[in-house]
Amino acid sequence: MADAEATKALSGLLNGIAQKVYYNNSDITEELLNTELFPELTRDQFTALHDKMRGLLKSIATADMDHAQLEAFLTAQTKRQGGGGVTAEQAAALSRFWKSHRARVRESLLAQSRWEPGFRGLSWRVDLQTGASRGDAVHSGPVALMELELGRAGEDSEFVCLEFDEAKVNQVLKKMADIQQSIDSIVQRT
Amino acid sequence: MSTSHAKDSSFLGGRIPPEIESMSKNLKDVDQEMFRKILKAVVSAMEGKDCREVMKSIAESSTIPQERLSYIVAGMYRVLSEAIRIPTLKQEAFKEDLRELRVPEDFITDFSSVVFGSRRAALEAATSQRDPHLPSVEDFKWRVDVAISTSSLARSLQPSVLMQMKLSDGSFHRFEVPVSKFQDLRYNVALILKEMNDLEKRSILQIQD
Repeated sequence: MADAEATKALSGLLNGIAQKVYYNNSDITEELLNTELFPELTRDQFTALHDKMRGLLKSIATADMDHAQLEAFLTAQTKRQGGGGVTAEQAAALSRFWKSHRARVRESLLAQSRWEPGFRGLSWRVDLQTGASRGDAVHSGPVALMELELGRAGEDSEFVCLEFDEAKVNQVLKKMADIQQSIDSIVQRT
Repeated sequence: MSTSHAKDSSFLGGRIPPEIESMSKNLKDVDQEMFRKILKAVVSAMEGKDCREVMKSIAESSTIPQERLSYIVAGMYRVLSEAIRIPTLKQEAFKEDLRELRVPEDFITDFSSVVFGSRRAALEAATSQRDPHLPSVEDFKWRVDVAISTSSLARSLQPSVLMQMKLSDGSFHRFEVPVSKFQDLRYNVALILKEMNDLEKRSILQIQD
């Protein structure tokens, strides 16, 4: 029973650290984790545990360890006796945590090194211009209106509205085929 | 208003625009050579050319007072732009409407040759440029990067696309597209093109009224 409680608290701690460090959830504080999960530890004791776990997670995340790498890493850590060592429960908690969070943490780390606004989405509409205040447009072809949603991580989106005629859409599509080719050539090689 | 035209309203609408009314009054003793000079300048202005110099020389060389000249120019501009607006306007109806305004017959012929002659396509194109538009893409550049290693990730090896667009309003937009989003974007652009093609084939344009 006590073991189960301890395991739960450890998972909670790892989740809390991930929220704080990787998922930008500022509601989670070290103090909150201390009082909620480890009320029996003093502040100093808890800080030591917290910092150790955060350090281990950082090593695992930065290297984006796969299962085998993680096992080797944790085995080495548990064998390290003395202050810096990891207990078997801690190793198990880290292993469980990483299995379910690896992809998301990786995504968050990738985003940390993205500085340009990212493309978030596209809405579009195809119109026919049928009349106008000056000049008539019956002979003009369809017009595509696009709204690009762009934004930096953590910031509100910016919207860019554009107009294309058919030839322009065709041009853009051709460029996209080039881009695809370029991506494919890289992905195949790695 | 004349009853003979009750069935067909004037291309100028129910109320004759004031600048056209004053134009016809002021055209009375203008000779055809001068009329053509002014008409030519107005047409090139409608095509978007700079005619300030031409107008100035007309004003200087002519005996018509400046004020009357400006009524004539304004009226001509209005006649032409109203007529170009309506694709279904018949030449006879156009002439008849101008006759009712007591525009001299020679001038009507000149007006008519602008509205229904070879200049029409150019005038339509030039005026449609001035319709409200969203900006369009003038230049589109891209780059595919693979991040090898970053401050947060030892081996990232993640391709991404950097796109830069220059718009017709002069602004630049640069943004990064993750590969998964890129597929989404490409799919949608292809879909748009298909919609546009379908639309032309179905010629939905022939909307019945």
